[in-house]
Amino acid sequence: MIVAALSMCLALQASTAMEHVRAGVEAHKSGQLDSAIAEFQKATELDPKLALAFVDLGAMYVEKRDFAAAIAPLKRALELNPEIEGVHQLLGYALLGQGYAAEAIPHFEQAHDDDTLGIALLETGDYSRAVPLLQKSLGKNPGDPDLLYYYGRASGLLSKQVFDDLEARFPNSPRSHQMMAQNYAALRDVPNAEKEYREALRLRPQTSGLHLELGELYARAQQWDKAEEEYRAETQIQPGSAEAAYRLGEAMVQEGKFHEARLALSNSDRLKPDMPETLYMFGKAASLDGDDALAAKCWKHVLDLEKDTPLVAQTHFSLAGLYRKQGKTREASHEMELFRALSEAAQTQEPPR
Amino acid sequence: MTDFTRRDFIARLALWGVAPAVFDAKLPRGLDFLHRNSPTAQKYLIESMGGGVALLDYNNDGLLDILLVNSGRLIDRVAAPEEFDRHDPQYWNRLYRQNPDGSFTDVTEAAGLASAGDGNYGMGVAVGDYDNDGYPDIYITNYGKNTLYHNNGNGTFTDITAKAGVAGGGWSCSAGFFDYDNDGHLDLFVTRYMEWDTKHSKICGGEWKTYCPPGEFPATTNILYRNRGDGTFEDVSQPSGISTLRGRSLGVAFADYDDDGFTDVYVTNDGMRQFLFHNNGNGTFRECALEVGASLTADGKPLSGMGVVFQDYDNDGRPDVLITVLPREIYALFHNDGDGLFSYRSLESGLGLLSAASSGWGVGLEDFDNDGWKDMFVAQSHVLDNVEQIDHMLHYKQPPLLALNHHGKFERAAESGADSPLAGRGAAFGDLNNDGLMDVVVTSLGGKPVVFMNQAGARSDRWLSIALRGTTSNRDGLGARVRVNGQTRFATTSGSYISANDKRLHFGLGAAETAKIEIRWPSGVHQTLDAVRANQFLELREPEKS
Repeated sequence: MIVAALSMCLALQASTAMEHVRAGVEAHKSGQLDSAIAEFQKATELDPKLALAFVDLGAMYVEKRDFAAAIAPLKRALELNPEIEGVHQLLGYALLGQGYAAEAIPHFEQAHDDDTLGIALLETGDYSRAVPLLQKSLGKNPGDPDLLYYYGRASGLLSKQVFDDLEARFPNSPRSHQMMAQNYAALRDVPNAEKEYREALRLRPQTSGLHLELGELYARAQQWDKAEEEYRAETQIQPGSAEAAYRLGEAMVQEGKFHEARLALSNSDRLKPDMPETLYMFGKAASLDGDDALAAKCWKHVLDLEKDTPLVAQTHFSLAGLYRKQGKTREASHEMELFRALSEAAQTQEPPR
Repeated sequence: MTDFTRRDFIARLALWGVAPAVFDAKLPRGLDFLHRNSPTAQKYLIESMGGGVALLDYNNDGLLDILLVNSGRLIDRVAAPEEFDRHDPQYWNRLYRQNPDGSFTDVTEAAGLASAGDGNYGMGVAVGDYDNDGYPDIYITNYGKNTLYHNNGNGTFTDITAKAGVAGGGWSCSAGFFDYDNDGHLDLFVTRYMEWDTKHSKICGGEWKTYCPPGEFPATTNILYRNRGDGTFEDVSQPSGISTLRGRSLGVAFADYDDDGFTDVYVTNDGMRQFLFHNNGNGTFRECALEVGASLTADGKPLSGMGVVFQDYDNDGRPDVLITVLPREIYALFHNDGDGLFSYRSLESGLGLLSAASSGWGVGLEDFDNDGWKDMFVAQSHVLDNVEQIDHMLHYKQPPLLALNHHGKFERAAESGADSPLAGRGAAFGDLNNDGLMDVVVTSLGGKPVVFMNQAGARSDRWLSIALRGTTSNRDGLGARVRVNGQTRFATTSGSYISANDKRLHFGLGAAETAKIEIRWPSGVHQTLDAVRANQFLELREPEKS
């Protein structure tokens, strides 16, 4: 008799708890988050074993961004039913939102949520695991700015971690000096960057890319004669590098060595054809070297490859100068018109009076 | 022993192989000027731009005197009305009379130049004999109102700005006298930088707090005043077409680039295209820099145009344009190709190596070693006084550049003697000690000027210095084209940056002992002199029109 009465009572409570759950769902649907929370709370009190009510309560707190309050009901839900759907993800959010990234990780793993797992791994400093996960997520959602941010941050920190490791374990290695040089170069500290590059080159003279980087350092400091020397060394180490040949040609144009520049740029064009920047500079070197026909050919090729870019405007301007020099007034005016049209927007930008 | 001069000593050194530097940088006795720009935390742009200098013989004693333009007092937050404390002597412009021993005497007060005017923050200076009385007059440009001082011929000046009607207003920088209508009276061109005032000032550079780039403020117009010949001027900016364009103008130079007998005007603009005003010969001008190839770099990029010279650097008889700019650009050289066209020749002339890391202001093309080719001198300094904190590759103070001209290609002088870095701004060129060698006075922003005395005499060749005496043309013959042994100069006191040069025309003659001189006066009169002896100062009078 007593058992029957107790069973009836429990069934009544359960049924009442479910009514509160249903009321909570309705309240949520109508946007009344606090009422929904109250209903789910009541349901958990009436039936402390109703996992569903704990899940809903935790979900409401997560939605309300009250992560601290969400954690306990979600954990309780998992205790009551470890297989219940969606709880791991919600608990992961709540824990991560409260700063417990390490605790959140297994829940995201359970939920197979790569985005947030990557972020949690980033927060715990496990960059090498975070980067591929975030990259994978970004592949699925390429336009997500948050993902882009986290991917960039994770990649940067991983890079720093690796470089720190390199410096700690191999402080006198050529790569360590190269890395230091890059840091100094980023700070525009030419003397120290130069010193580190030189040391890297002393330790391993044939390292590809080192002369190129040192050349770029000198070029940024407008020391074109030194830049030329480094680019030339790079072309000897990497005779197949179109970039090294291009840089060498660019430096020699600055120095007024137009004929030699032309040869280097021709080589760069041969190694990697149809590069607009190379063709523009090749045309410039040819023009300065007195070969107007070749200059015109290179610049027209740029115009075949590119449309409506600053380089195109530049090319029209250069062609106008060439035609003017040749007495081709009509052609020069036409190129100037095209130049004006492209550069008009930039040149008419005026602050308000 | 008493005949053994310093010059002889230098010559002897050269023979011994101990060649001295081209310049001896010094501050002559009595030249006690200190430029005061009063830099503030507000980074008012005017703080960074002043420091004009002029070389003129104000008392016609045959010795060049020096006028230095001061700026003024700025407080951290300037309130209206802007005052600048120019009544305080430390903010006066200063005129220094040269004494026969090469020292200088401050004659500012005696000359009547002590008052710089209320609300004026000083910038630059132009010199010209606007009333053809034989004495050079002075025009001071300011942020505020400009001032025209008439030279009374007795060692004093009178402020005749109001009567003359040339006060202008706004922010004036370089100015220059020239005779655009060939009526024998010097007219006046005034560049203005931008529409700016202390109330609308900004600070840029984020946490670095730097002066703002020019594009942050609206462009403005330049002014052309026509000399009526009665001591007054008429503002013809609008009818002449000069004010149809707005720019951010800093420099101005004059020459007749297309040989049509009328003086044209080149104006440098900061951070935008440059202007070439072609003189149509009927009182109007047409801006044509873009279409003639003298406006942008070879890549079609704008320039941070500051100082400018409009003279013939490659001895082809046509005036070329040399412009100083900011680092990571290259000083721009627009070669006059003839037929009214120009081509950008900076790389061909060697400026790529010489100037890519430099920031130039005052500039001159003068034959410092008298070899018959005009060399280049540039007063240098970055515009940002804290640039080294922002970019370790750049420097605020820089030594001036002396580049020698080897048949049209410039190369850095191995021993220039101009090695000390300074915040160079204005630069004026002239033969201070009348030794046949061109000297330079450079101003330093917030500092003392430096006089670069040319001591290349021992190594240098012969020379000729010509002062023009116009009769039908304006008295100083400004605008005349003078050819000497195949070299050409256009008579002007203008060019450089906010500065005015010796009106005499200096020619290096190389080894030639005599010279052939050909002058085309602004009046159209041609004059030729043959077999003129080298190493002398000549005054040539314009012949009557036949």
